[in-house]
Amino acid sequence: MKFDALTEEHLDALREVSNIGVAHAATALSQLIGRSISLSVPKVLLTDIAKVPEVFGGAEKLVVGIYLQMLGDARGNILIVLPRDSALKLLSRLLPREKSEGSLLTELEISALKEVGNILASAYLNALGTLMGKTLIPSVPVLSFDMAGAVIDYALIALGEVGDLALMVETDFFGEEEKINGQFFLLPDPESLKIILTAIGVHL
Amino acid sequence: MSKIISVSISELKVAIAPAVLVTYGLGSCVGIALYDPEARTGGLAHTLLPAPVRDTQGVEKSAKFTCWAVDLMVDELVKCGCAPERLVAKLAGGATMFESQYRSTHGGIGERNVAAAKAALERCGIPLVAEDTGGDYGRSLEFNTATGIIMVRALQQPIKQI
Repeated sequence: MKFDALTEEHLDALREVSNIGVAHAATALSQLIGRSISLSVPKVLLTDIAKVPEVFGGAEKLVVGIYLQMLGDARGNILIVLPRDSALKLLSRLLPREKSEGSLLTELEISALKEVGNILASAYLNALGTLMGKTLIPSVPVLSFDMAGAVIDYALIALGEVGDLALMVETDFFGEEEKINGQFFLLPDPESLKIILTAIGVHL
Repeated sequence: MSKIISVSISELKVAIAPAVLVTYGLGSCVGIALYDPEARTGGLAHTLLPAPVRDTQGVEKSAKFTCWAVDLMVDELVKCGCAPERLVAKLAGGATMFESQYRSTHGGIGERNVAAAKAALERCGIPLVAEDTGGDYGRSLEFNTATGIIMVRALQQPIKQI
């Protein structure tokens, strides 16, 4: 299915199911860190691939990117992007205080952030899969701490192979007591988009 | 002040000195720079994929694909008065941003991008004079068309000039 064939109705349906998915993810993250985390109503963006880095706040912004694949009955990529300071705040909630050496992340910190990604993605995919009556599972997460452009170009490869557009479901999450920002992106493969829309009862 | 011209993913731009061609956040993508020192004119492409996956028919020839970017850029540079035989090339990028477990799906895309760029340069008879490729980190490039020098910036790495 071509992304440019999507109508407003299709995008609304995606927004609706994603809303339920991110609500589950917010609950899971709140429980993990013992603080209330809110997630915004998702935005569904259809963007030219060349413009995707702007969505992430510019190609040179330093971010932690946690990347997982959506596997099972529908395929795609999940990318969770945390600005550096938000990632460090999350870590301070998760790990005993460590002496930070330089600006690189330690093995333990990387592992903790991957687990955050795993929990968010699992909660999201579980909710989406239940709605669809299909099985969706996340792959093992991988992490990169670098410039946003470099972190995300990997997720664009599968999209670039079939077209010039990226469909993204974007959610901002933020803490209530302290500022923790992040973005959750679902980039479904074009072929899987049809499966998702059909399964949630949208007429194509 | 030189004019600064930004090159996004899948784009290629050419410029005559004084101008600086920049591209930010190259990960597994590759930055291909061609330069004619005599005309002081250069081109920079930021390519995403080595080549189209399936048949190439019906796929628009664009700088999204490494295999075509060199040919397209040579055409543009010749239009700006460059001589193909004077062109030299520099490459940067083609990193592996995530650990090797994903190699099976996108099999070392950074390495394949670099290989595709080198193959295209060889086919076009353009010598590769410098490169800063591979590794596991992102790069930003500033290509000064007055000198042909490219500044390569990366996190946790000293600034390089190629």
